[in-house]
Amino acid sequence: MSTAIQENQQPFSAKFLQFYKDRTLLAILLSLFAVMFVYGIFFTDNYLTLTNFKAIIRDAALYGIMAIGLTFVTLSGNFFLLSLKETASICGVTFAMGMATGFGSPDLAGNFMVSLLAALSVGVVSGVIQGYFVGMGGNPIVVTLGGAGILYGIGAWWSDNLVINFTRPHDAEWLGTGSFLGLPSITWSFILIAIAGEIVLRHTNFGRKVYLVGANKAAGKATGHENFSMAIIVFTICSVCCAFVAVAFVAQMDSAQSNYFSAEFGSSGDMTILVIATVMVGGNSIMGGYGSTLRTSLGAIFIAMVDNMMVLQGFNSGPRIVGVGLMIVFSIIVFGLFAKGSRAQE
Amino acid sequence: MDNLMKRITRDVDLSFAILLSFCVYVFFAMNIEVFFSHNISFAILERFAVLGLVGLALTICIIAGEIDLSIGSNAALCAVIVVKLTDPLGAPFAMLIGLSVSTLIGATQGFVIAFIRIRAIVITVGTLMLLRGVALLIAEEKTVMLTDFRVPDFITTKVLMYFSPASLTVIFIFICVGIFMRYTKYGREIYAIGGARKEALTAGIPLRRPMIIAFALSGFCAGFAGTVIGLKSGTAQGLGLQYLLLAGTVAAFVGGVSILGGKGGVLGAAIGALTVNFLNTGLVFYALQVHFVQLFTSVLLVIVIVFQTMSRIFDSRQARKSLLETIDDRKTALLEKKRSVLGK
Amino acid sequence: MASNPILKITKVSRTFGAIQALKEANFEINEGEIMGLVGENGAGKSTLVKIISGFDSGFKGSYQINGNEVKFETPSQAEGSGIAIAQQELSLIPNMSVAENIFLTGAKVKKFATLNTLANMARPYLDEVGLTDVDPTTRINLLSVGEQHLVEVARLISREAKILILDEPTAALGEAESRRILEMVERLAANGKSIIYVSHRLDEIFKITKRITILRDGVSQGVQQTKDIDVNKLVEIMLGRELANMFPSKADHISDDPKIEIKDLWPDGVLEPISFSAYKGEILGLSGQLGSGAGEVLASIAGALKSRSGSLTINDENFLPKSPSQAIKKKIAYCSSDRKKDGLFLGRPIFENLTSPALSSISKYGFNFGSTEQDFSKSLAKEFLIDVKRMFDESGLLSGGNQQKVALGKWLSIKPDVLLVNEPTRGVDVGAKSEIYQRMRDLAARGITIIFASTDIQEITYLPDRVITFYRGMMIDEHRLENIQTPTILKEITDPFNETNL
Repeated sequence: MSTAIQENQQPFSAKFLQFYKDRTLLAILLSLFAVMFVYGIFFTDNYLTLTNFKAIIRDAALYGIMAIGLTFVTLSGNFFLLSLKETASICGVTFAMGMATGFGSPDLAGNFMVSLLAALSVGVVSGVIQGYFVGMGGNPIVVTLGGAGILYGIGAWWSDNLVINFTRPHDAEWLGTGSFLGLPSITWSFILIAIAGEIVLRHTNFGRKVYLVGANKAAGKATGHENFSMAIIVFTICSVCCAFVAVAFVAQMDSAQSNYFSAEFGSSGDMTILVIATVMVGGNSIMGGYGSTLRTSLGAIFIAMVDNMMVLQGFNSGPRIVGVGLMIVFSIIVFGLFAKGSRAQE
Repeated sequence: MDNLMKRITRDVDLSFAILLSFCVYVFFAMNIEVFFSHNISFAILERFAVLGLVGLALTICIIAGEIDLSIGSNAALCAVIVVKLTDPLGAPFAMLIGLSVSTLIGATQGFVIAFIRIRAIVITVGTLMLLRGVALLIAEEKTVMLTDFRVPDFITTKVLMYFSPASLTVIFIFICVGIFMRYTKYGREIYAIGGARKEALTAGIPLRRPMIIAFALSGFCAGFAGTVIGLKSGTAQGLGLQYLLLAGTVAAFVGGVSILGGKGGVLGAAIGALTVNFLNTGLVFYALQVHFVQLFTSVLLVIVIVFQTMSRIFDSRQARKSLLETIDDRKTALLEKKRSVLGK
Repeated sequence: MASNPILKITKVSRTFGAIQALKEANFEINEGEIMGLVGENGAGKSTLVKIISGFDSGFKGSYQINGNEVKFETPSQAEGSGIAIAQQELSLIPNMSVAENIFLTGAKVKKFATLNTLANMARPYLDEVGLTDVDPTTRINLLSVGEQHLVEVARLISREAKILILDEPTAALGEAESRRILEMVERLAANGKSIIYVSHRLDEIFKITKRITILRDGVSQGVQQTKDIDVNKLVEIMLGRELANMFPSKADHISDDPKIEIKDLWPDGVLEPISFSAYKGEILGLSGQLGSGAGEVLASIAGALKSRSGSLTINDENFLPKSPSQAIKKKIAYCSSDRKKDGLFLGRPIFENLTSPALSSISKYGFNFGSTEQDFSKSLAKEFLIDVKRMFDESGLLSGGNQQKVALGKWLSIKPDVLLVNEPTRGVDVGAKSEIYQRMRDLAARGITIIFASTDIQEITYLPDRVITFYRGMMIDEHRLENIQTPTILKEITDPFNETNL
């Protein structure tokens, strides 16, 4: 039947909204920032200090890096991984094992490179396997739900669920607690990874493919870009980011146990949910094809700002979690309302 | 025999769920002497009271084509409310308030999802956190506790050897929801918006009503699960019960629900919950640590998923085969005509 | 016999913004009558039908039911007056049973009912549409597509519809299934129901309708008694006279240098293996109704549809692509008939769409810093007359014609040897149509072999240098240059074995 007519029926307001949508969303995000900022300055002591800002970015770094990795998955239309904290858990345990025991060969104990490579390899393997099943057509939620339990189980089994310690001085100090030019290493990592993420997405073929496959899987297939290899690669990227964060955290704590990343991580509880929320708060579309790692970074900083402000105001965990939760719900609703334009073809 | 085959193939996923349940039970029954005893069965049914409820909650949401990530937080919130209010107001009244809150939360989520047309998975990421915070606030960062232990005692009394007031109520809830989902127009609407959202809307089904009902039911079940846990143990924590999400999701899938929506049922939810229950209870006898239980539960999930995927592949192969057969049937007659008329 | 029509539309017009979908539409139908409604794409059929069924109340003009003026604000109101429509896209829930689907929505649906109750309630309606041997408890996805269409109609009848609109009910059906639909329609009419039968399948129109209403460019061309008219006259009224200017002239001759040879290709849906060649620089048209095999052949050449056997020879290489990416590597480009589904990345800007099949040519070592891509996409856009200033706009914002240009134009980025297109101008306005035809001819002149499939008779007659006709999964005949005549082609694709005495 005649679709030409329906297409020309779009009211002017919808076209206007779509044209400025990108800028509008960014404007909203920035104005929310501004509001927070102003509120923070007026109502909180110590808010406007450099130390405080550095603290905010450092807090944002851990889940921010994981969120940047997850952004690739979301942008490609593969939703998200529910196994983020379990991947961090097993990789963290791997790293600690390497630093503490050298995996059985004492001369490798404490060798940063070996332990790091081991941890990253575990990340790669878990990413490849989960990505494979999703690429074959499995639903990401279900696959990663199963993956979560299995990863955690294997990690805890291998470490007997014990705390693995390694003593200072050790080779990983520079990453865990070191700093460079006044910023902690983890913050540098966040900045570098955020920049790298943007460059890959904007200026490489791979990044373009992520957007295309995310925007329309069928059209991607028709133009020669299959989701199969895409799923494997993005899942691997995400898992490696989790591995990296785990290594940094373990280096900071000089120890690791399987449950370090579970339940009580950070003030806002569940790490997996926090990372997913970060991606959403940045305004990335859950259906894929729209968004960027820049947005995710801003989302991470934004969440950290809210939390930080509440800490400075002396709130307990309860109100802080409510605050972060409210912010997440609010931004999701706002973005949901605005994204109703060209992407609402469900 | 033929009839039986027909019934099995009618809902393959459910049949597999029953088979799996049976296998898991038999495995443990053969290796653990006391597995058959009525004490263990009582323990299983007690666990079922909670696991069954969350499995049911998630089953309904997944049937509706969505998922509710916030059921753990909702349950914790209700637990905190109920435990906190039982001492001053008495258990029945406290339960009424707690369950109303949970159901209302669920209904509101359903409304927002339908009204703004966003996916539940996105919004429940936020509400998971929000409700956690609220629960923590109401509990004033402490663990709330009951002082009067008559209620927990009552809830855990044995009735008819195998049951308790908790498990009996849950079974009753299952029956009611089961009848609702299968035999009422509103239940069918939930199946419709899950199985074929676009077609359902074109056929004229309003999106709001089934979505609100589905999430209200999910909220109610989550709240009830929290109530049972809270009243049985006499304590409640704001940050607790997060494991219910994973447990409920696995129970739902093991029970044969499909992530694509529109398939599955209350019976499946019960069976899935029982299977996971058998596994958990059986593993207790092996004195395994928690992470092993999680590992094996995940393996169970993987088995179910592999089966579902293979059965779908099988279905599409069959579909192609029957398409080709239909073509071959038509072939000879039409080609004959062609040759006679056009001479080629 | 019926004196007064039960439904009468007089001088109705409907404008959407700048577009006048209906200029002056007249329509009427009597009780127990089967009225055909025909017209080309864009003639206004769907607009008229939406107005009749209550989906659109923004029209001007008179709408009378049994002599009384009516204005339906919602489809439910129209249903209340006994008017219901079965759309081309089914609105059945695949996992649910037939009975549950029939009684899914509507004011009179029972709130509580077992499956057996519903099954018994559904029985008479199923019988009326001819599904006497279907168990109402069967799941919809176990029925054939034709049976599903019948269930959709059963649903309408269960709501006491007296006037039914069937919109392209047999579009996706094979011969046996279509026959069932036709039988059902005749049975319903015999029971006193009125049927508005909208279809492109002119053979069916001639089989069952008593009268035919023809729409052209939003204006009714009058009502014809079916027995007083033949196919050619009908097509003439449908198309009018202003055709030939839209199309560029054909090639003088067809090269005998085959660019691609197709041997024993047997796609799913086709009755027997098919072989033919396409020559350098020619435009080859595959003509046939939906399901006749024309579209299936095209898709399988591109690796987008499974084949039981077959091979292609191109540039002295023998192979059969198993996926679109394999075809692309061999310089075979394929543009499907549904650009929204897999032809466009609607949320992405136009330039990204244009370069999507050829990412490696706009980047160096995988890195793309913009300038190569911008120049490349600009030149592609100019090729297909797409406004260069709109490169950064989301492709979802474009009109149908411009979207099709992007969907087609992007394939130039791989510098294809063979360009396959299914329905090159579907949903495209007249102006863009002629631009696309001109482009296709230019590309052919440059040596690209173009093979397209189309259900648009005009397009098939005036665009290609050669035409191969298909019917119900069989290749019928081939015609060249001046020997491509509309009447012959029409006959071959609708009734090559003389079964209906057109």
